Amino acid sequence: MIVKHIKEMYDYRNLIWQLAWSEFKLRYKNSILGYFWSLLEPMLMLIVLYVIFSNLMRVQVEHYQLFLLLGIILWGFLSRATTIGMFSIVGRASIVKKIYFPRDIFVVSSCITALLMSIFESLIFIIFMVFFRVPISINLVYVPFILFFLFIISFGLSLALSALNVFYRDVQFIWQVLLQVGYFATPILYTLDVFPKNLQGFILLNPIARIIISARDTIIYSSPAKIEDLLFMFLSSIVFLLVGYIIFSRLEPRFAEEI
Amino acid sequence: MTAIKVEHLHKTFRIPHQKRTTIFETLTGVFKPPTYETFHALRDINFTVEEGEALGIIGENGSGKSTLLKIIANILRPSLGSVTALKKLTPFLELGVGFQPDLTASENIKIYATIMGMQKREINDKLDDILEFAGLKNFRDTKLKNFSSGMQVRLAFSTAIQTNPEILLMDEVLAVGDMEFQQKCLDVLNEYRKKGITIIFVSHDLGAVRRFCDKVLLLNKGRQVAIGDPTEVIDRYVYSKVETSPSNNNEPESNENKLQDGKDGLTCRQISGKIAEIVDVSFYDKFDHANTNFNSLDPMKVRIFYNSKELVEDPVFGIALYSERGKHLFGTNTYLKNYPINSILGSGYIDLLIEKIPLQTGKFLMTVDLVQSKDYVPLDHKDKQYSFSVIPTGYEEGILGLSCSWLLNSERAI
Repeated sequence: MIVKHIKEMYDYRNLIWQLAWSEFKLRYKNSILGYFWSLLEPMLMLIVLYVIFSNLMRVQVEHYQLFLLLGIILWGFLSRATTIGMFSIVGRASIVKKIYFPRDIFVVSSCITALLMSIFESLIFIIFMVFFRVPISINLVYVPFILFFLFIISFGLSLALSALNVFYRDVQFIWQVLLQVGYFATPILYTLDVFPKNLQGFILLNPIARIIISARDTIIYSSPAKIEDLLFMFLSSIVFLLVGYIIFSRLEPRFAEEI
Repeated sequence: MTAIKVEHLHKTFRIPHQKRTTIFETLTGVFKPPTYETFHALRDINFTVEEGEALGIIGENGSGKSTLLKIIANILRPSLGSVTALKKLTPFLELGVGFQPDLTASENIKIYATIMGMQKREINDKLDDILEFAGLKNFRDTKLKNFSSGMQVRLAFSTAIQTNPEILLMDEVLAVGDMEFQQKCLDVLNEYRKKGITIIFVSHDLGAVRRFCDKVLLLNKGRQVAIGDPTEVIDRYVYSKVETSPSNNNEPESNENKLQDGKDGLTCRQISGKIAEIVDVSFYDKFDHANTNFNSLDPMKVRIFYNSKELVEDPVFGIALYSERGKHLFGTNTYLKNYPINSILGSGYIDLLIEKIPLQTGKFLMTVDLVQSKDYVPLDHKDKQYSFSVIPTGYEEGILGLSCSWLLNSERAI
């Protein structure tokens, strides 16, 4: 059944891409200036956070700009993918009610839109890497896996959220609050050491924390990812994907009636 | 080969009295069980559509036509029973699904065509044709929001017809647009039919259904009433509509008429002790059932019930026919038809036989008169109190339906 579904999704690759790409263009209002503004936002964010944390709070981290920027981009992807994904069904009511194709196509395509936006932002990160002459190493081979796990987790969350949002419209507010909490409970602005020792194990239950830490280790600090981290990410992405699909496929038959 | 098979299909909708749309409401309402009503939209529908066949689905508003179509299209799921489609379905439930006002015409074509199941290469090949056909070649890179609604429909339509459906589902798409557009739609449908594409077609346009479909399914309040030969099923639909209201269904209106008529002194006399009056008028269809709906060019019988308290010698019955807007179309009476009646007493009826209703479409009003011919004393006058509707069977235009045929007479016959 899973194989059949994957094949079906492959048959619809064109549609997935069209939906993702048009959404991407719409987000940037189809203009060159739109792309520029969208880069400006994370840049300003970076500058503010950098000034506060390196000068006022005196965080002592090597390559703190890159450390911060990578954290912001990765978390930004999760937050964006789930937010766009959450509205992917509700926001396309006119299509859902008038034509049928597998509805998870909407969710995949919105996660791809978020991915496109994040890749675009990563350009700044690459420029920074070159500018600060950060050495790169063979450990970059881990990066695709880490990013893949992040994508799958975001996709699983989006599946569940998009389906729940059809039936319970306050999911969107609850999720925004949870994202806010997660932002500070994840080592994005600071290292894991900031948390008390007994809390660190708890923080690491969050797969996103491990993803961000491993991504930093491999990209910025040229050190290999820990096997236990990779394993944890792998298992949690399977769990998120499965739970997401179970919730989604349970609720999916009534989408057109409830939307 | 069977293209679509529908077996024991049921669909019920739950309509909650108080809809809970948030987690908060669901939590606070946990001790109050939700109350709801069940609405049976479809009950036990069974039919098959063979490959290359065109099935029409007819029925009144709310009879479940669109629900059935949506279930076949897999948009809604059946509550019970099953629908099996053995080929790829292309639903035309609405034109321009997924149009984005902020994208350009060509971008929208690409998205819409992809949604309709076209392949990338095909779309790129046909992009110019589509714009050309829609007459929007110069607007290729104009944003859709700057288009008039007519331009948008044209764009959607010319994109939609580029698809190569195996089974086509159509829901009243023909109902939008002007005459020219509707004709275009029909041409496309005919094209598809010639290609042997299976079509399921929901419409109120009985003329289109009759011409177009091999088989017709009639629904009434979610039940399958009949399926089969178009002429039989459509006749059944037109002539079996249960008369929910008596033929003089515009009661308040006619009262008003009466008051107005009272002014001209004609009806004043009759109010003061009618000697004879017209009790009711019924219209009978070709199956001899009282009805108010008729197919164009079908036979009709108008039955006038009278009641006469005293002996009336030499009475004359007359009718006058009006269009819905009040235009006088026709009038006749027993005198003009050389049908002398010696006298009437007590209650009875008189029939007016119409061989073929020479009308095409619309609602028609009838005035009925009873006079005494000797000194032309009006006995009763019911002004436009009776009405019936005529349903077209073809595509000819206008109110009148003449039975006629063409005959070419040329020196050089081809």
